[in-house]
Amino acid sequence: MSPNFEAFIARLYVDAAARRRFLADPLREAAAADLTEEEIAAAVRIDRVGLELAAVTFAQKRRRRRRHGPVMAAALSYWRRLVKRPFSG
Amino acid sequence: MIHDRVGLTWHPQLAAAILAARDRIDLVEVIPEGTFLESRGTHRALRTLAREMPVAIHGVSLGLASTTAVDERRLEQFARLIDDVQPECWSEHLAFVRAGGIELGHLAAPARTETTIDATSANIERAARVIGAYPLVENVATIIDPPGSALDEQTWLARLLAASRSDLLLDLHNLYANATNFGFDAAVVLRSLPAERIRCIHLAGGTPVHASTGEQRYLDDHLHDVPDPVYDLLEIVGESVPHAVDVVLERDGAFPPFNHLLAQLDRARVALARGRDRGRVAS
Repeated sequence: MSPNFEAFIARLYVDAAARRRFLADPLREAAAADLTEEEIAAAVRIDRVGLELAAVTFAQKRRRRRRHGPVMAAALSYWRRLVKRPFSG
Repeated sequence: MIHDRVGLTWHPQLAAAILAARDRIDLVEVIPEGTFLESRGTHRALRTLAREMPVAIHGVSLGLASTTAVDERRLEQFARLIDDVQPECWSEHLAFVRAGGIELGHLAAPARTETTIDATSANIERAARVIGAYPLVENVATIIDPPGSALDEQTWLARLLAASRSDLLLDLHNLYANATNFGFDAAVVLRSLPAERIRCIHLAGGTPVHASTGEQRYLDDHLHDVPDPVYDLLEIVGESVPHAVDVVLERDGAFPPFNHLLAQLDRARVALARGRDRGRVAS
């Protein structure tokens, strides 16, 4: 598999519009993506249930990271102060 | 007597509880993201922690299992962290995390092919050259049958280990999740892996998720308790791996009372010890 194929799959995971177009006509979208014949066939055979769930769970993960950023920063600041004190039994 | 060690993923929110329970935690694993990677102040704090208890650094952003060469700037940043903290070891996932300028924000399983084995081996060599030590490499969970795959997970992993000098961080929950989703026997795969290359173990929890078609899959989310079958797999590790292993419980949110996490560490010790006993009887 090529970097082009990886990029094609990555777009399907994160880009809802690209995913909709692909699911409507997988062969056309894959053929337009500068993939090899083997890669086009692999794209057409994609695990559709898995694609839907991967897209949803990846988006959840990205949202969770953004939401937790400020909490993490505060916790990290607290921890830096904690760790500066000498450790004791 | 084999001295396995059991610990958990370090989070700032758990820091005080971890330090207070050092007698029940053999090691911690730190995930370097954002501030962790960039701030020398955080590096110094981690160095202090590493002097107190064994620390492992667990990468999530290098994307070693990609057909694209891993980014040298990221490797150099990672190398500074390793140099500052002096952890016992470092590890990274067998996943791609970006491609064609797109950041996934998560770990995606690569196509399981000979091409990705070669490309991943080359990335592992690049990383080892810049960082000065080989990473342990971790099998990933996937909710999608990795597009473009020609090999099953067992074969891909075994061939990658044969082609590289990295040893395996075996995530038993990832193995369990993939077995649940794609209908193979996790115990059979575990027994087929080269036991002498398994150095570290991850435990975690997950939850069922449903597609719009109603079909159910199992998601590795690190937000739930370790399910029973994963402890059964840990017993097999105890039985079959001939050397000491580090076992790390990964819990990344929805934190229960800390004693509840410690109870899971205790349960892991029991499962490992049971496996060790079985291994001794068998030999």
